[in-house]
Amino acid sequence: MSPMHTNADKETFLNLLKENRGIIFKICNSYCPDKNEREDLAQEIIFQLWKSYAVFNSDYRFTTWMYRIALNVAITFYRKHSKTTRTIIFNETIPEIEDRKDTQDETSENINRLQQFINELKELDKALMILYLEEKSHKEIAEILGITETNVATKVNRIKDKLKQKFSTVHNV
Amino acid sequence: MEDITLKDTWKEYGNKIEESRVLNMQSWALNLQCFEMIQSQKAKSKLKTLTVAKIAGIITGVLWVWFLGTLVYYNNFKNLFFSISVGVIFLFNIVAIINYIRHLVMITNINYSETVTDTQQKLSELQSSIISDNRFLLLQFPFYTTWFYSMQWITSSPLSFWFIAFPITLLFTFFGIWLYINYSKKNLHKPWVRSLMEGSGFNSVTKAMDFLDEITVYKKEKA
Repeated sequence: MSPMHTNADKETFLNLLKENRGIIFKICNSYCPDKNEREDLAQEIIFQLWKSYAVFNSDYRFTTWMYRIALNVAITFYRKHSKTTRTIIFNETIPEIEDRKDTQDETSENINRLQQFINELKELDKALMILYLEEKSHKEIAEILGITETNVATKVNRIKDKLKQKFSTVHNV
Repeated sequence: MEDITLKDTWKEYGNKIEESRVLNMQSWALNLQCFEMIQSQKAKSKLKTLTVAKIAGIITGVLWVWFLGTLVYYNNFKNLFFSISVGVIFLFNIVAIINYIRHLVMITNINYSETVTDTQQKLSELQSSIISDNRFLLLQFPFYTTWFYSMQWITSSPLSFWFIAFPITLLFTFFGIWLYINYSKKNLHKPWVRSLMEGSGFNSVTKAMDFLDEITVYKKEKA
């Protein structure tokens, strides 16, 4: 079990969490399209982050460490709930966003398509693509996933080509 | 679509999630009090539950083995059937305890802050070994039907022994061996095997093994 946390630790952790909360939002949305389960996943991620925070190795960047934990928890969660997760139709993915008036504009359509394509990817490819879209360097992606930089480059290009192909197919229809 | 557009779309997506407060994070995650709540979620942690189950299993196993050992010791081979049957069950349970300890070590070695492929590999290995390692326990079935055999029973009441007790033991032996042989991934394509295995947790093990293969392939570089 993790060592005792002080109040200062809590405050630092909360500030770091606040600064990087977008990571949790996006990972939760990508691995758990079900709104009801999404909060459980976010809670589990934050719990694991907090639990591991006491032994956080400052040799790594905070975001690298955070991505590792968040992705590991999300993939494990996804695999446990894969029966429901995999059958969810994309339109149900981000209903909260669709409540807004400008949902039909091009950006929203692109967001929906991008999210749909990401949802269709396998667990590890999904992680890779999220990291790529988050503008992480190949080196950092390799550190997070545990594969080589060359492997990252090859896979990113392959997935990106697929994504572009799908986007162009949709636009040409 | 160009790279830059993909990334811009992703950024826009992040902004929209933030605006819509999908996870309503502000209300709980950024509140210090939430830590008390999060701490109370410890019990929900699946690995923690599994650890507790394994420790309970080890304690029960040790008590059970101790009980069986005492029976064998005090019987002192007065009844050969009893001593051999209980002795074999004793050995099976010793191996089961060793497996439980091994699983406990595997759980301890899982660290979510390690690389994604390493952690997922460890989790999948744990999942597949939990059932696969204990597959051999099925072979102890017949010994639960022989401990009450005795030479006196065989000679004094051969009909009840040879036509009731012995066939039951044979049935358990065949069933145990059959399950042991067929309880494997390579037979899952057979519908009758699949239907028998469903619900026993075997499917999740198969999935874990598939994911292990997937991770191994994923780690390999492809030109």
